[in-house]
Amino acid sequence: MVTGMLALLVGVSLLVLRPVMLATYHYNQYVIATTHLFVLGWICTIVMGAMYQLVPVALETKLYSEKLAAWQFAFHLVGFTGMVWMFWTWNMKQVGHFGSVLLVGVGLFVYNIARTLLRVPRWNVIATAVASALVWLSLAVSVGLTLAVGKCSYEAASGPASGGPLGVFLHGLKAIAAFTARFDQIGAMHAHAHLGVVGVFIMLIVGISYKLVPMFTLSDIQSSRRARASVTLLNAGLLGVFVAILLRHPLKFAFALLVVAGLACYGLEIVAILRARKRRSLDWGLKSFLTAISLLAPLSILALVLSWPGLPLTTLTGRLENVYGFLGLAGVVSFAIMGMFYKIIPFLVWYGSYSTQIGLRKVPSLADLYSPALQAAGYWTYLAGLAATTLAILLGNAAAVAGACVLLALSLVTLALNVAKILSHLVRPRMEPFNLRPALGGNS
Amino acid sequence: MQTMQLDEPLVLETLRQVVDPEIDCNIVDLGLIYGTRIEGRKVTVKMTLTTPGCPMHESIAGGVKNALRSLEAVEEAEVEVVWDPPWNPSMMTDYGRARIGLRS
Repeated sequence: MVTGMLALLVGVSLLVLRPVMLATYHYNQYVIATTHLFVLGWICTIVMGAMYQLVPVALETKLYSEKLAAWQFAFHLVGFTGMVWMFWTWNMKQVGHFGSVLLVGVGLFVYNIARTLLRVPRWNVIATAVASALVWLSLAVSVGLTLAVGKCSYEAASGPASGGPLGVFLHGLKAIAAFTARFDQIGAMHAHAHLGVVGVFIMLIVGISYKLVPMFTLSDIQSSRRARASVTLLNAGLLGVFVAILLRHPLKFAFALLVVAGLACYGLEIVAILRARKRRSLDWGLKSFLTAISLLAPLSILALVLSWPGLPLTTLTGRLENVYGFLGLAGVVSFAIMGMFYKIIPFLVWYGSYSTQIGLRKVPSLADLYSPALQAAGYWTYLAGLAATTLAILLGNAAAVAGACVLLALSLVTLALNVAKILSHLVRPRMEPFNLRPALGGNS
Repeated sequence: MQTMQLDEPLVLETLRQVVDPEIDCNIVDLGLIYGTRIEGRKVTVKMTLTTPGCPMHESIAGGVKNALRSLEAVEEAEVEVVWDPPWNPSMMTDYGRARIGLRS
């Protein structure tokens, strides 16, 4: 969590200091480095950590191995920090090396969660979504690494080291590089990005929602069929979108429609779950999460516009692509994660400080661990920051991007303050003795 | 330590000390207690949780034992977590509904 938040802080600071990154076309080393900082450093770190907690809860089982999770984190940390640094200096050979370290971590993660899935007592749509995300994650990282291989030269393959196993390996890499050179590089990058963002993050948001939204609102899934359809359509559409983007095929629009249909099923199901909920009030954490997923609607429209066959690459198109990437990562995924932060972190801290004291002393509830006023301030500031940054990107105005990103940074300050407040319960738990026996029919 | 007669009202009253920290309502008014059995100085509580796989499972079950053992008359406390019938909000008391702002 600390690693993820630090990566987010550095990422937003970079946007404030170098706002031109969001005001120009995104195919350059700084944008790619910063995007990987957000995606791997912030989102992946948090998502992987959260999955070790949430998958066992959502699927009523136990994590296969905590030791593997610790090893994975070490590989992940070395891999992503090295990758971001090397992207920034555009040293693709080293990106490949650090990417390989990251791949080892991803392999451990996929193995650990896959073995956990094998223990699931009742397979359901959530398990299908998690399993799908594992497949897309493996593919996204492999494709990313293949693209890095394609951007390196292999002089050593014809040098003294050309014989033996190393030579065979180098010739293999050279062959991969020749193969990737057949594809349009920007298209390949976009295809890789969709595998990661839609295949992994959106898929996990969809799957985990089907457990968490009913759990927190006291509701139930209203149509299992619709929930299954959302995951199936997402999977089918994404496979098509990946191939179509890679080949610059006009069928991209049709496959994008499939993805949007999947998201529409998801949206309808979430609305139905919320309508059937018994708990009237929604806390700010849940509001952030629901606001984040509602941003999928404008994002879907943008996706259809950008996948229109023969759309010319103009300045406006480039800006719309920037908005698309920004809203996807900072809007949907990051906002959803921040919402869930207010569910997961208080629980972990509460569990560490109070779980053994329940029934013995009066312990705080999860909502008592943080300030709702600060949370509300963070919500509105972040929402304003998203809107302002989107507008600034559309205008292509770097100064406006910097100003808008300050709003996002302010929102992160409120989040950091609340997280510090929550963590303080680890150091100084607040408990009271039960004064008197509680009256019948009353809460203690 | 309490020196009161060990009966169901006392057990339920004691269990009101155990609060679900996510919902912020005690487990009795939440309707999680399906039954209690008192055999001498042993109390067995049959209960459920709001959702299967609830991450608070161990904490709440442990809290029930903690609360019951705080009674002088109790020597042994057992908790049996069951999922049938599954919990639903209609099992809550009027106080519980009001506490969490439940829709009728």
